[in-house]
Amino acid sequence: MNKKELHTIAENWFSNQSWKPFPFQKQAWIAFLQGKNGLLNAPTGSGKTYALWIPIVLEYIKRNPKYSTKHKKGLKAVWITPLRALSVEIKQATERFVDEIGLPFTVGIRTGDTSQKERAAQKRSMPDLLITTPESLQLLLASKGYDKTFKEVNAIVIDEWHELLGSKRGVQMELALSRLKTISLSLRIWGISATIGNLEQARDVLLGPDSKALQNSVLIKANIRKKITVKSIIPKKMETFPWRGHLGLHLLEEVIPIIKKSKTTLLFTNTRAQCEIWFQKLLEKHPELAGEIAMHHGSINKETRLWVEQAIRNESLKAVVCTSSLDLGVDFAPVETIIQIGGPKGVARFLQRAGRSGHQPGKESVIHFLPTHAIELTEASALQKAVQNKKVEDRIPYLNSFDVLVQYLTTLAVSNGFYPDEIFPEVKSTFCFQSITQEQFRWILNFLTLGSQSLQSYDEYKKVSIETDGKFKVHSRAVAMRHRLQIGTIVSDAVLTIKYLKGGFLGSIEEWFISKLKPGDVFTFAGRNLELFKIKNMQVLVKKSKQKTSKIPSWMGGRMSFSSEMSSLLREELYTVTQTYSKVSKELKALTHIFNRQKKESIVPGPNQFLIETFKTRDGFHAIFYPFEGRFVHEALGSLMAYRISLLLPITFSIAFNDYGFELLSDQQIDMQQVLDNNLFTTQDLKSDLQKSLNATEMARRKFRDVAVIAGLVFTGYPNKVIKSKHLQSSSQLLFDVFKEYEPNNLLYQQAFIETFEHQLEEGRLQLAMDRISSQTIVWKACKKPTPFSFPIITDRLREKLSSEKLADRIKRMTAQLEKA
Amino acid sequence: MKTQEITINDQTFILHPTGCAYWKEKSILLIADVHLGKITHFRKNGSAVPESAILQNFNRLDEVLHYFQPKTLCFLGDLFHSYINNEWILFSEWIRKTTSKIILIAGNHDIISPLRYSALKIQVSNEWQIDSFLFTHHPEERQLFFNISGHIHPGIRLQGAGKQSLSVSCFFKRKYQMILPAFGTFTGKHILIPQKEDEVFGITTAEVIKITFR
Repeated sequence: MNKKELHTIAENWFSNQSWKPFPFQKQAWIAFLQGKNGLLNAPTGSGKTYALWIPIVLEYIKRNPKYSTKHKKGLKAVWITPLRALSVEIKQATERFVDEIGLPFTVGIRTGDTSQKERAAQKRSMPDLLITTPESLQLLLASKGYDKTFKEVNAIVIDEWHELLGSKRGVQMELALSRLKTISLSLRIWGISATIGNLEQARDVLLGPDSKALQNSVLIKANIRKKITVKSIIPKKMETFPWRGHLGLHLLEEVIPIIKKSKTTLLFTNTRAQCEIWFQKLLEKHPELAGEIAMHHGSINKETRLWVEQAIRNESLKAVVCTSSLDLGVDFAPVETIIQIGGPKGVARFLQRAGRSGHQPGKESVIHFLPTHAIELTEASALQKAVQNKKVEDRIPYLNSFDVLVQYLTTLAVSNGFYPDEIFPEVKSTFCFQSITQEQFRWILNFLTLGSQSLQSYDEYKKVSIETDGKFKVHSRAVAMRHRLQIGTIVSDAVLTIKYLKGGFLGSIEEWFISKLKPGDVFTFAGRNLELFKIKNMQVLVKKSKQKTSKIPSWMGGRMSFSSEMSSLLREELYTVTQTYSKVSKELKALTHIFNRQKKESIVPGPNQFLIETFKTRDGFHAIFYPFEGRFVHEALGSLMAYRISLLLPITFSIAFNDYGFELLSDQQIDMQQVLDNNLFTTQDLKSDLQKSLNATEMARRKFRDVAVIAGLVFTGYPNKVIKSKHLQSSSQLLFDVFKEYEPNNLLYQQAFIETFEHQLEEGRLQLAMDRISSQTIVWKACKKPTPFSFPIITDRLREKLSSEKLADRIKRMTAQLEKA
Repeated sequence: MKTQEITINDQTFILHPTGCAYWKEKSILLIADVHLGKITHFRKNGSAVPESAILQNFNRLDEVLHYFQPKTLCFLGDLFHSYINNEWILFSEWIRKTTSKIILIAGNHDIISPLRYSALKIQVSNEWQIDSFLFTHHPEERQLFFNISGHIHPGIRLQGAGKQSLSVSCFFKRKYQMILPAFGTFTGKHILIPQKEDEVFGITTAEVIKITFR
């Protein structure tokens, strides 16, 4: 069949749906059929699935002209999605096309939700298209004979690549692709990405820098222009609007008319806790909304999530309170309005959320921004500028993630086994490991086989063995089983499933929240008040509770940072306050009384000023620095300053950060003049001082948790599975201490340090910030009491510590709380 | 090295920064929760805990034996973490060099056959009553006795001005019992909340410090 005939099949199908292919879709068809790889930049709801699924099918038809009668068995294409929730949508779309053109193709889903039985059936006979997640793909690589499974695959599509790119799941994907390039005989690799700042780099990472695949590739941009309108919700009575807070419930009544006016509204919150609270409060204050509103977040069980998604499509819901769980994929035509509660922390995310509304061509997307505290209104006006200028941030890919490499090599050793000489060039061809040295690779191999770098006489380390022909293989069934269970846990905290005592699955919850509860305690989950009965085998058993008050889980992951783009917009926005009043946006005008108060106690810094405030409260001596560079930079800068000051005298700091600045709090007064005289903002010895500050804080310790789990150093078990891991319980914290003392040059231990500030140091973000500060005049204000700017920072409870005092000296000044009678 | 001397039932006990307690009048050294073999157990199961940490337990044992020169060394349970492994060989070698009499109060982790212990001339029992004192692995309350135990790995959370907080391992003393901190290097701690009449002694690498309450 020639090219024209193939295209006719597709175009006929399109016109049967009374659709017309977009230019970007046709471009993708042509490029794919020419055998090219590529990255497609297209937003959700634009028909991106058909841009790639159609040519995959056409390619098969080209090779098998008798396609409708003679079916060739085996896996032909793999579709990777970062979110399980999206797999159903993709299945429906892809099935629709093949069914209607009379191609007997099967589409299968394989994710963490897929049953054992179905997995086994898939293993015997793979579907033609497999929709799966990066973790499940790794699991396939961990099963024997995976090379045969993937041999005939000629297309792999990585959907929402931008979501994976800046994460370790992206690294997992890079490694899997490096293997598939070898074992699949004629593989085409395609990514689909929303707009990000570094699209070209996204393609490099996907295909491998300097690779043949990259040379034979294209970047296709959908260029669908959409009008986005940002509306800020400004409180009528600014004076009573809080200076801090993160829930935004003060403005609850303001969203009611918006919800009532539009067909369907999505309310995006930043954390699942916030999502739960908003849902509950909306119902409490407006019982008439019962049945018309729903909630959607990642911890809620799959059935409920799918039900909510379907209900949005059927237009049977007025509003859904959700988290980033609805950021991606899933096309919801009826959604007319978006409300963003609290700062979205990034332009790309904000645009993506805005894009969830007004899906019909020509319609504009409307997004309302609801500030949770006064200062956040400045973010609203900065965001408007960002949307106008389309200033979208980069997603920064990871480099040298040795933990993921350890996991990957173990995966290969579990299934077919591997030969280092064969695998090393593949690993080195990825973006993440482009600079890996032979020595580092040798270190990893030793780590896998010896658990150290030299063989000790009494040692009994057992993981990967080397067979006589040099093949690396896992022989222990227990090791293999634990490894398979561990693969899915690349994403942070241990999760437990929540079930009713009588049966019935409710969802999953992070272990650390549940560990704070005692049986009998009542907490809110999925909009219900539940009483904890007991925790058994990674399951949380609960009963319904009639009690009104409850604890609400606050999930991790709520801590994001402004990108450098957002930070600079925010600074510019703030500077307008000190300049001409006519340029000031209505959001900032609404903040006038706060700025006046700030000016009374301190100053509102202008473009050439760097503000430091000091004051004393009951808590101790506060020093607040305002670089306005985003949370990540402030974490690094705060630790650096704390470290440098701690060299001047023995002192202990509690450090808090937000997107505007950071606070050093101590029980001793800092001599700020001495700090300024010693030029502590210098970029000299920046890297080594930062490194030393890390040793003094706990930041690397927290990073190490992920590293230890991914590299298989700690075994966390897995939801729903009872694992006999007696005597193997240990915390990554304990492990960190042991490494610190006995093996500080361990690559995985060091990785925790490198990762902590990696994103700040990338492209010299920290250096640039410090250069900028050095060009400013430092204004130090000794204030009488906390200023409006300082308020959100000093009330933050999530804090870092740094001390140059002796532990014993600190203990002697501290006290323990007695049990309350 | 700063130890703390305390008096219980007119007897003198010296608390050491490693977490052991020495009964002066009887020359008995009490050590809880060493968890020997734990690192090897992890390594055997594919978790590469630094093996150089293994020797540290023995070094610490040598250090305190040298410091107190006790007639009797009494382990308050969880001496060996799991099934037998090569650390047992190191342990046997260490025992042969040791001149003190050794008693093990078996803990929940001590699943190795008592025959192996008796081969090393270690006496194993479930508890030990001596004068008005009762030594056990699990904390107990028994009339007329002061109980000294382990098992819990007690720790305490401290707070101070400037929103400072930290937690340290500790000796946790109640009216009729005292729980020793875990002696082993690769062991965690469990935070306890004190009551008014309790006494808590935090440990650092070089000091035992009495904790003040608020």
